[in-house]
Amino acid sequence: MWPFTGEVHGVWLLIYILTFALHAVFISYVLVGTAYALVQAVRRSDDPIAERVRDVLPFMLGCGITAGVAPLLFLQLLYQRHFYSANLILGPRWGAVVPALIIGFYALYVAKSSVKWRRHALAAGTVCFLFVAWSWTEIHLLMLDEPAWRTMYTAGTRIYGDGGVAPRLLLWLGAMVTLFATVSIWWASGAQRRRLAVMALAGRVIVGLAAAWLVTQGASIEGAAHGWLYLLIGALVIEAGGWVWIWRVPDGVGALVATAAGTAALVAGAVVREAPRLAILEPPRPAALEAGGFPTFVATFAFGVLAIAWIVQTIRRGTRPRPDS
Amino acid sequence: MALAIPYYPVNEFGPLMKGLVIGGVGILHVFLAQFAIGGGMLLYYFEGRAQRGDADARKFVDGYFRVLVLVSFVFGALTGVAMWFTTIQVGARTIGLMVDEFHWLWATEWVWFSIEVCAGYAFYRFGSRLDDRARRSLLGLYAFAAWMSLFWINGILSWQLTPGGWLDGNGMWAGFFNPSFWPSLFFRTAVATTLAALVACVVINTMDLPRERKAELIRRASRFAAPIALMPIFALWFLAVIPEDSRTWLLGGSLPMTMFVGVAAGASMLIGAYVIVGIMIKRLTINIATATLLLVLAFGATAAGEFVREGARKPFTVRGVLYSTSLTPAEVAHLRVTGATVGDPYPLRDEARYPTAQLQRGAKVFRVLCDACHTKHGSNSLVELVRTWTDDQMRLNIAKLQRTKGFMPPFAGNAEDVEALVQMLKWEVAGTPRSWPASADPAVVAQIARWLDEVGTSPMGGR
Repeated sequence: MWPFTGEVHGVWLLIYILTFALHAVFISYVLVGTAYALVQAVRRSDDPIAERVRDVLPFMLGCGITAGVAPLLFLQLLYQRHFYSANLILGPRWGAVVPALIIGFYALYVAKSSVKWRRHALAAGTVCFLFVAWSWTEIHLLMLDEPAWRTMYTAGTRIYGDGGVAPRLLLWLGAMVTLFATVSIWWASGAQRRRLAVMALAGRVIVGLAAAWLVTQGASIEGAAHGWLYLLIGALVIEAGGWVWIWRVPDGVGALVATAAGTAALVAGAVVREAPRLAILEPPRPAALEAGGFPTFVATFAFGVLAIAWIVQTIRRGTRPRPDS
Repeated sequence: MALAIPYYPVNEFGPLMKGLVIGGVGILHVFLAQFAIGGGMLLYYFEGRAQRGDADARKFVDGYFRVLVLVSFVFGALTGVAMWFTTIQVGARTIGLMVDEFHWLWATEWVWFSIEVCAGYAFYRFGSRLDDRARRSLLGLYAFAAWMSLFWINGILSWQLTPGGWLDGNGMWAGFFNPSFWPSLFFRTAVATTLAALVACVVINTMDLPRERKAELIRRASRFAAPIALMPIFALWFLAVIPEDSRTWLLGGSLPMTMFVGVAAGASMLIGAYVIVGIMIKRLTINIATATLLLVLAFGATAAGEFVREGARKPFTVRGVLYSTSLTPAEVAHLRVTGATVGDPYPLRDEARYPTAQLQRGAKVFRVLCDACHTKHGSNSLVELVRTWTDDQMRLNIAKLQRTKGFMPPFAGNAEDVEALVQMLKWEVAGTPRSWPASADPAVVAQIARWLDEVGTSPMGGR
């Protein structure tokens, strides 16, 4: 099935898309969660969503970084020359994403443990994570713009000022708001769920506006990405229905509908996002083509899934309230 | 046959040579990651003692140490990502080849790291609410996953120096279980447990306990530093299996390398002597100042050890396959004919600085062939290196580069490239005057060409 065709590329691409989608869930929670907690801290509100968010943000960032390693690995197989070249052109400015993440990570701990410094820490975290999001948007587009490499390199320019960066970042931020709401809803009930539904729908409106902005700039998805665009639109419509349902009946099955459709939208969206970049897909290099170890990876992956499931089960069993307590 | 050599944009880091940039990030990463591995094992041991009724062990496990492990593995993960980005900056083709060759094993390592993160966080967050069996199981899984992470990455890193049977076409596993795989793995494991023991000694000193109970905890923690006694054996094993030329440089052939070997060995010996003789045999206690000093020594030993490991690979980044110039031996031979810079699509950033086309060419040759390890005026400065050389000495030394120093790669350009580089260096030595005569004597170029032909394109150390 397109785009997962070709013996080697197909497998790499499949793993890339799936792990990227997983990574997107965590980082969306971190970026939007930090901003949300900041807003609530500024308002001095005792918001239970913000309290929960502050509590789990460091863990979510840890998961986001860990989950991000896998797509970063497969990105280097699929688009090595383009990714490395864009990296090198942005140079130390690009490398600044790492200190930004380190500062952001410790800011989340400060926000969790200190009331006095909470607002400052959350503001610092929000700035850091926005910087990382902007940097990734920038490098994604720079990878696609090979003619700009030489010009930027010669001029020593470290910022890719293409007009597509802002709408693309806005599109991502909108999608992240909805993803944040999708994760948060499973820890919320009643009025909190209604608030999250409003946020999720607002996120989708932002996505729509950003997409329209991109279209006015000439962006298009050739051949509707072999139908994936239609799947994405269909999933978004069902998801929106799910959020409206949640708004009307917060504790009904709307959460399940919104999550399922949102997951489908995320995967379809990841494929649609990839479609324009497939034009620069590099032929597999001989070393990559002949590399062994796939069965080892599959066996370890299966073990990893079981191990993580066991961890979750152990925690649930261990932290379940006892009948006599 | 034309070779498609991928040219990447080249960045400079001011006075820092690229080895210092990657070294700085790498040493920090290795130190933290190895501590996280040893820390998991140490926590597992102390948790066992806590469950057998040792209240101080329980306090230790639930105290700062648990937090330190958590912080180190998150910081370790982030510096790991930093390693990836930094390696792209300093040697894109090297990291590209490693990813190409070992991507499934890297993905395997990622799975173990994911398990490590999940188990570590689960213990950190829910440990106080779990029963004894669940706590120990989580710690056991964390410690094992952390060590497995080391197991996989160790094979990939050691392959760079000793690819072993992989070079003869025996496949990826021959490269992974290469000659230096086991000594490196055992050595790193010993380092990991030692670091954990030293950090534990610092942490125990901060605990609110009577002196004798602290001493008892320290004695128990210090057992984890005992494997340091085996490190000389692993180091000798490592020395025995690395290529002969690399061994020669470490053992006196290259004074800086030998000095770093000495620093690593000396610092490790001091730590080992203090821990084994002082704490374990003589049952001395250790205060926070001494424990911190030992930890600083361990950082120094780690830094020196990593420098040795990186330096021993010269002139390659992947032995026999990729030179430190990011060129393969076949590409070196190809560039001897075509010239080093004809395929480089990137102009100089400071082209206007050079008064002649020949100097511009020299600057491009410097960027393509020298910039990976040298700066012009900063650390490992090429201008300072050649300042006192005569013109012909410079031409000869550069043309016969692999004979000038055994750890240098063969020059990957033609005679005109050598002359352009020589002129550019002379111009820099002269203080970058506004005008500079072109060097166009055909006899000079012909002489350089003869030297290039004489020396050939093979490295001195073999593969």
